[in-house]
Amino acid sequence: MWQAIYEELANPDFVIICAAEDTGGEAVAGPIFDAAKVSYIQIVDEDHLISSVFNFVNVPSAAWIDEEGRIARIDEGTYSKVHTFGVGDQSITFGTDVYSRALKDWVQQGAKSEHVQPPETVASNIRTHSPDQLKADAAFRLGNLFRSHGQGDKADHYWALARSLNPDSINFIRQNLTLTEEGSGGETFRQLMGEYISQGKPFYRPLDIESA
Amino acid sequence: MTRAFGAYPEYRNPFPASPIHPDGSSTVLYQGKSITLSKTGPGPGLLIDPADLVRVNGFEVKPQGACFGDLCIPMTGSLMVERGGSRWFDLEAFADLLGQQYVADREARVWSFAEIPAKRENMLVNALAPDFEVKDRSGKVIRLSDYRGKKALIVTWSSW
Repeated sequence: MWQAIYEELANPDFVIICAAEDTGGEAVAGPIFDAAKVSYIQIVDEDHLISSVFNFVNVPSAAWIDEEGRIARIDEGTYSKVHTFGVGDQSITFGTDVYSRALKDWVQQGAKSEHVQPPETVASNIRTHSPDQLKADAAFRLGNLFRSHGQGDKADHYWALARSLNPDSINFIRQNLTLTEEGSGGETFRQLMGEYISQGKPFYRPLDIESA
Repeated sequence: MTRAFGAYPEYRNPFPASPIHPDGSSTVLYQGKSITLSKTGPGPGLLIDPADLVRVNGFEVKPQGACFGDLCIPMTGSLMVERGGSRWFDLEAFADLLGQQYVADREARVWSFAEIPAKRENMLVNALAPDFEVKDRSGKVIRLSDYRGKKALIVTWSSW
């Protein structure tokens, strides 16, 4: 969560709009927001609408929007810090500290920040989605509507359609796993990660921020 | 039994079964909204009252065409159809004309539309953020355009 950074910046001209891409809804995302004592804008985005708007395919992802509505950076693995789970040999570390430093610099320096990218760079960093990938978003939302009416077979049908139309969407794959006994971090997920690594595909678009 | 990481199987299908349209209406899903149409034309397609177009996707039927801001799509013969003594706007034909993707469940009479490509060009070419509208956890409507004049970090995450 970004609460510590939001409080540190304490800038009335900076807002965070934070969307939980969770079809499980308030029941699964709400307690996490509450535990982090979040004071910025909190969205429980069951339909993954925000990902759809910016062509995101994974979480966490982000866009920086300046005062004129121009995107200053987009679509990077948006970690607020390095996270470590577990202890000793069993620990897992992920995330980065450099992104939040860049964000703070932008909030304080604005257009003068070295981390602001020109429009042509931003435009080239936005994922291009094929017609089928755009259709996948529509199929996913249709599945959610059937879920909300207790029609699980139809929900499953349209969620599967969404995954087949946009196989690049890690969001769709892991969201589906979340609603199974296996969960989002089990064998299927590990296989997926292995395929990404073996094919040389980045799980997130690499950060181009100096780590020093 | 220990729950696996990111596993919420009880939320896969937690709601009681209910029909989407007990009253015979139709639904359009677009930009996160669910629009119920009580009046549609006969047949398997999606023929809507032209007056409903604006609440479906923001376009308005005007003399010069179907318009959204400066963008006007001329009304071709395939967009307006006569059926059952009434004139209808063919929303599927309009989507095809715009290159807008959709998925329809004709049995349930629900049409789910993806974004209209022309509305995304400013982002893909000029890096201008498209406006969006969502509700926050308290039910307040949040539009990106409400924060013009401020910097905004739009960030996604998930419980999984």
